[in-house]
Amino acid sequence: MGILIDAGTRILIQGITGREASMVTRHMLDYGTPVAAGVTPGKGGTEVHGVPVYDTVRQACREHEINAALIYVPPAFVYDAVLEAVANGINLIVIITENIPQHDVMKLLAATKKAGARVIGPNTTGIINPRARMKMGAIGGDNVERCFVPGCVGVISRSGGMTAETAHMVKRAGLGVSTAIAIGGDPMIGSPPRELLELFEQDPETQAVVMFGEPGTTFEEDVAELLAAKGFTKPLIAYIAGRFTEDMPEGTVFGHAGAIIEGGKGKPSTKMRLLREAGAYVAERYDDIVDYLKQLDLPQN
Amino acid sequence: MGRMLENHTKTLLYENGLAVPQFKVAASVDEVRQAADELGGKVVLKALVPVGKKGKAGAVKFADGAEEAGEAAAGLLGTTVRFFPVEKILVEQKLEIEQELFVSITLDKMRRCPVVLASTAGGMDVEEIAAQYPEKMRVIPLDPFEGLPEYKCREIWTELGLSGGLLREAASYLYRLYQVFARYEATVLEINPLAVTPEGKVVAAGALMAVDDAAVFRHPELKDYVQLGSERAWRPLTELEKEVVAVNEADPYRGTARYTEMEDGDIGFMCGGGGGSLMVFDTLLSYGGRPANYTEFGGNPPERKVFGLVKTILSKPGVKGLLVDANITNNTQVDLVAQGIVRALKEKGIDPRKFPVVVRLAGVNDAEGRRILAEAGVEYYGEEMSMSQAARRMVEKMREAYGG
Repeated sequence: MGILIDAGTRILIQGITGREASMVTRHMLDYGTPVAAGVTPGKGGTEVHGVPVYDTVRQACREHEINAALIYVPPAFVYDAVLEAVANGINLIVIITENIPQHDVMKLLAATKKAGARVIGPNTTGIINPRARMKMGAIGGDNVERCFVPGCVGVISRSGGMTAETAHMVKRAGLGVSTAIAIGGDPMIGSPPRELLELFEQDPETQAVVMFGEPGTTFEEDVAELLAAKGFTKPLIAYIAGRFTEDMPEGTVFGHAGAIIEGGKGKPSTKMRLLREAGAYVAERYDDIVDYLKQLDLPQN
Repeated sequence: MGRMLENHTKTLLYENGLAVPQFKVAASVDEVRQAADELGGKVVLKALVPVGKKGKAGAVKFADGAEEAGEAAAGLLGTTVRFFPVEKILVEQKLEIEQELFVSITLDKMRRCPVVLASTAGGMDVEEIAAQYPEKMRVIPLDPFEGLPEYKCREIWTELGLSGGLLREAASYLYRLYQVFARYEATVLEINPLAVTPEGKVVAAGALMAVDDAAVFRHPELKDYVQLGSERAWRPLTELEKEVVAVNEADPYRGTARYTEMEDGDIGFMCGGGGGSLMVFDTLLSYGGRPANYTEFGGNPPERKVFGLVKTILSKPGVKGLLVDANITNNTQVDLVAQGIVRALKEKGIDPRKFPVVVRLAGVNDAEGRRILAEAGVEYYGEEMSMSQAARRMVEKMREAYGG
């Protein structure tokens, strides 16, 4: 089990012939994740690590059963790539690309919502289901087991890098991961934590979730609301980074584009207070996540 | 988000057929006097800095005639408005104002759509309007594909009580304003006040605009209006910050390198990942460390990007140590990061056996990274030490080296 991806996911990589995408394709294959096909306009008929490349998504879908797209195309072409995936009936779209024009993101999120497709990202390192050995994106790198071992803890992170580091904390606690999702570092993303917690709530394998939050947006505030409304009833351990930004002049971005306090909104201290009041375990120090996990008495691997 | 100066915003509005007051930009008291003369005497002076709410900050003055304008300018030039030094002044013809309206279009990132705010209580901050005159304000989320059709503009102003010629004027202005917002991919476009003249014309008396940095590549006409990286500082970029922007832009699609100077501090701070860097910065402070800058890097940067970044970090006066502390990498090649660090230390003539350096790096190719750093005599940790523990070790090492 787990959420979003499992053994039934059939992956297409758009922009597969790029330097980064090609490296990630190899890492995915090495991990055991099948990649059905790739698309790069003009490179149809070639192969990337044995994966057939097509000129269009339509051609790829004619030859293969595809239900998930991993998007690695440059920022200017993402909007079109997403429309192409949606037009071909693909209902899970993971957008790795960073620095996409925001008006394009707004439009592609509206288009995917209308079509009923789920988007993870943009600006993400991807998602992973360790039990199924399925990953989409660079997440876990070339040595996946270093951080991601199968288990019962869900991971949601606004930071791609901290998704791996947090999974490592889970491993330190003697536990493993059901599904880990790097949701993307931008303020405008397809799947905010609240929606993912709703999915984790339904997943029998997941028994607790660790969430890595940051300044800016209302993602963590929305999670507190969900908790208070009993929309998520499993233990949630949250860490919110960037408390120092509250002492800096407002309106400055630190780290991800989404990490910006504006109009007094998005302060880590407020997020922590609301989450605590709603019943989450809020870690003061990042390393405390390990202690909280140990206290939960979850089944060891 | 690239905030634009008001003269640039008004130039864009004018070029797109939207009325703005006549204006000139002046850099000295004499130039201001001359501009006031040319504009007919009655003028408004605004400090030309990329911040909003200038009136509240005391950065707007009114003058009647060149003499008064010169005096007002003398009081503005050389001052600082919210960390920005005032080097230039926007001198505008003072409008006869019958009524003040307010309009703002923003890209609302939580709603994932454009939102229009319109009000007949212009001239005050939007927060004040919302608190004092909620009945005089409309907040309208828009469909990203439909945008703002003209009939909706008429509906908005009708509901707010406008009628007759003014209704048509204000609706047409708002309609065209949205076209500008969409055309240049703005994140904010605010007109406050939108002045109604005795002749019943509407004119943008105050204008504020920010465009999306990530979209500037397809609007070359905005290139000179927007300083890249300005959203990452609350004041003009320092020389070292500009250096890192240049280092980053030299390889725009390969990795990120970001650098924000702190006022003081003695630890050169270089952390991997947008989230990891926030966490380590908090942790370093909690142990009493004093970071000299905020830096994040990631996304598999080439060696030369790391080299340029570390060199800049070490160039800030007062930096007496270096902490490199990154999350276990997904794609960043640790060996390349290690090479960049070692080359920068060498170039700055720094011996890591004497100058406190702590490196915590794990992930892709980390065996080779460990070898490179060990050979250079750098204190290195991999995943066996947590990121927080590395931050703590750095503070300890600074105490060992310098006492305190």
